Amino acid sequence: MLSKKPDLSIDFCGVRFKNPFLLSSSPVSNSAEMVAKSFEAGWSGVVYKTLASGRWPIVHPSPRMNAYHYGSKQLMGLQNVEQISDRPLKDNLLDFLYLKKHYPDHPIVASLMGFSNDDWEYLAKAAEDNGADMLELNFSCPHMTIEGSGHKVGQAFHLLESFTEVVKKAVKIPVMAKMTPNITDITEPAVFAKKGGADAIAAINTIRGISEIGLQDLVPRPNVFGVGAMSGYSGPAVKPIALHFIADLAKCQDLGLPISGIGGIETWVDALEYLLVGAATVQVTTGIIHFGYRIVEDMIEGLSDYMSSRGIGRVADLVGQALPHLQETDHFDLARQGVASYDLDRCIGCGQCLIVCNDAGGQALEWNARKRRPRLVEDKCLSCMICSFVCPVHGLISFKEMPKGWKRRETAVMDPGLEAGLKLAPLPVDLKR
Amino acid sequence: MSYAEQFKKMGKGFDFTQALAEADRCLLCHDAPCSRGCPAETDPGTFIRKLRLRNVTGAIRTIKENNALGGACGVLCPTPRLCEKECSTTGIGRAIEIGKIQRFLIEHGWSLGFKAYEQPVPRTEKAAVVGSGPAGLSCAAELARQGVQVTVFEERAEPGGVIRYGVPAYRFDKAFLKNELQDLKDLGVKFKCNSRIDGAEGAKKLLGSGFQAVFLAPGLWGAERLPTKGKIKGVYTSVDFLAALREERFEEIGRQVKGKAVAVIGGGSVAMDCAESALKLGARDVYLVYRRSYAQMPAEADERQAAQSLGVHFLLLNQPTGYTTDGSGRVKGLRLLRTRLGEPGTDGRRKPVEIKGSAWTLEVSLVVEAIGNRPDPADWASLAKVDGRGLVLAGTKNRKTSARGVFAGGDLVRGPALVVEAVQDGKLAARAILESLK
Repeated sequence: MLSKKPDLSIDFCGVRFKNPFLLSSSPVSNSAEMVAKSFEAGWSGVVYKTLASGRWPIVHPSPRMNAYHYGSKQLMGLQNVEQISDRPLKDNLLDFLYLKKHYPDHPIVASLMGFSNDDWEYLAKAAEDNGADMLELNFSCPHMTIEGSGHKVGQAFHLLESFTEVVKKAVKIPVMAKMTPNITDITEPAVFAKKGGADAIAAINTIRGISEIGLQDLVPRPNVFGVGAMSGYSGPAVKPIALHFIADLAKCQDLGLPISGIGGIETWVDALEYLLVGAATVQVTTGIIHFGYRIVEDMIEGLSDYMSSRGIGRVADLVGQALPHLQETDHFDLARQGVASYDLDRCIGCGQCLIVCNDAGGQALEWNARKRRPRLVEDKCLSCMICSFVCPVHGLISFKEMPKGWKRRETAVMDPGLEAGLKLAPLPVDLKR
Repeated sequence: MSYAEQFKKMGKGFDFTQALAEADRCLLCHDAPCSRGCPAETDPGTFIRKLRLRNVTGAIRTIKENNALGGACGVLCPTPRLCEKECSTTGIGRAIEIGKIQRFLIEHGWSLGFKAYEQPVPRTEKAAVVGSGPAGLSCAAELARQGVQVTVFEERAEPGGVIRYGVPAYRFDKAFLKNELQDLKDLGVKFKCNSRIDGAEGAKKLLGSGFQAVFLAPGLWGAERLPTKGKIKGVYTSVDFLAALREERFEEIGRQVKGKAVAVIGGGSVAMDCAESALKLGARDVYLVYRRSYAQMPAEADERQAAQSLGVHFLLLNQPTGYTTDGSGRVKGLRLLRTRLGEPGTDGRRKPVEIKGSAWTLEVSLVVEAIGNRPDPADWASLAKVDGRGLVLAGTKNRKTSARGVFAGGDLVRGPALVVEAVQDGKLAARAILESLK
């Protein structure tokens, strides 16, 4: 049977996006020329680069980014000291008008950063009056040093609440508050944003980090003429961290707002994982910095085919679907145990499994040097599975459950004869259960 | 392209990014089969791991401590049948390009100004090394690192032996060699060029003049010849032909081959080098004449393929029998007899059998005979035991000859062998010499 093309569109705070893939507020959404190109490539909407009122001049440091490579893999992460838009507010608003004229079906989310109540109100009105379909309040730029701006607001909950309130009173369009991850519990500021009237939460902004230090000049990168700074780190390396923030927001009973997910998304698989932990739209920058706008073609096709293969008709039906399976560790059934299982017919004999099992696992492998093959002693296997993480043959090592009642051998002590010299007081009575 | 452009420089190797990407593909095997595959114990398993973990200088040190000619081996080794043949990655894809990584690391060391060797503690003992090819250089480096005072005697004008005068510069150039030799000079190795040690007598003189040990590694510079009466103009040995190119006598040789037909006799690596060189010098047609067939050629598979793709005509199953000449005594034609393959000989290769009545003559203007080499100087028998071919007999583990204080290695012992095998001979001999000095 031929499949029906799934509908990738999603309603987000009453705004319709033809797919859940948006540009995030960053260098990739700096002008209408760029954004128009991204719409042609398939992006459904844009969170336009953060506008400011122009009261303070914005100058970008030079250079402003640094790549974090892993071996020969480029751009595992990206650090930036990029500032908000340095273009005149008027130019950016003219670009809004251009985009609305030529791409009326592609929503514009205006990212804003004010420095006072008046500032926030002024910007919000200007954006709404010139065609913005939605606002995103930048409470999270990680390298702002001015108190009362960027992530400093995101960490000062009452200020965040009152700025949100000011904006909500000034406009009719939906308002999204963008959260900083540079905080212990992301749901706290999100709930304050909700109190201020926010309609949605965007998360995460970049994580403060140090991606590299010059070994000759000792300057952290990017080296801005002899000075480095802790600043925003993004890209695939931050995705696991970002996903937990999204899940926290989605599971928060007091919040209950739609979420726009951000952090290390490059492929449809990444995007899908965001949807499954509760994001309804996703935003991308670093992936575009690495590969260009074209990646959206593969995100659209990949997500669409996944949905077809599972008979899912709408993106909304994916949102939050992994959350019921996400629990605290005390929910594990510890009575069920398993071990690694080896398909040795496909083994090429590199022995990396042996090395890691010996040095970091359960010493459960023996080595046949003549045949160059490992042999698993099952009752010593910890099921840590690190052998499978280093095995170059995909799927050769898998996890298998052992029958009920199977017991793992305890790690033996090297010399039980030393017990006479052991100094260990009996367990105090009140510590016993 | 000028001759200089074609002949003086070799192609570029990996850059840092390429080398790191290749090291990233390495599986870092528990038992590093690649390292077992290296005749000189250069230990690629270790230096690739070091590169992968960004211990770049450590990787260079591993190579140089194991193999004083690590750069030359990285360039010249037939890696597909040595380390790379053993590579586990072949089980899921193509082998790691170990030779290219090795070459990169050595070149990278030069660009960093990194010196892998430590200053040796000087000793009073002296050793003489006869010949500055791979075996001699390797032995000299090993001894010098232990503080022994080493003098290398070289017959030709510059050190390097076969890697200076026996391979075309586009395969291994002077600038690269110079860098690799600098490490030996830094160790205090002295080079005496234009100094031929004339066989047994010469070696005995060295032993009598203050050298406690002598390592013989003069290579094989005498050429096997097709039996002919007298000297024929336009017929070269591979030794003379390649040496002329390494001496940059391009114009002289170029004049003789440009637009003409050239025959190269032989099926080994040297024959391939000569044939390719003749084509690059502007020959109209280059015939590689070989009495057996393609599969029996001793040249490496990639060398055979390269020669063919370049346009060398492989004239297989033809046995050269002699020459025709013009009135001035210049070669005009190569007499040939067609052959067919018969039963395998003692080396397992099927022997060529001449086909009666099949004689014919190939018209050529220049011929290079690349049919094998023999010792020159030839007289070693009055010093140490030799085999039937005049090759010096030396212990496989210590390269000791039957003469006290005399060690030997490289082609003089093995017959035509690989650079990496010569390097190992130098190492083994150096260890034995150090033992003998105790």
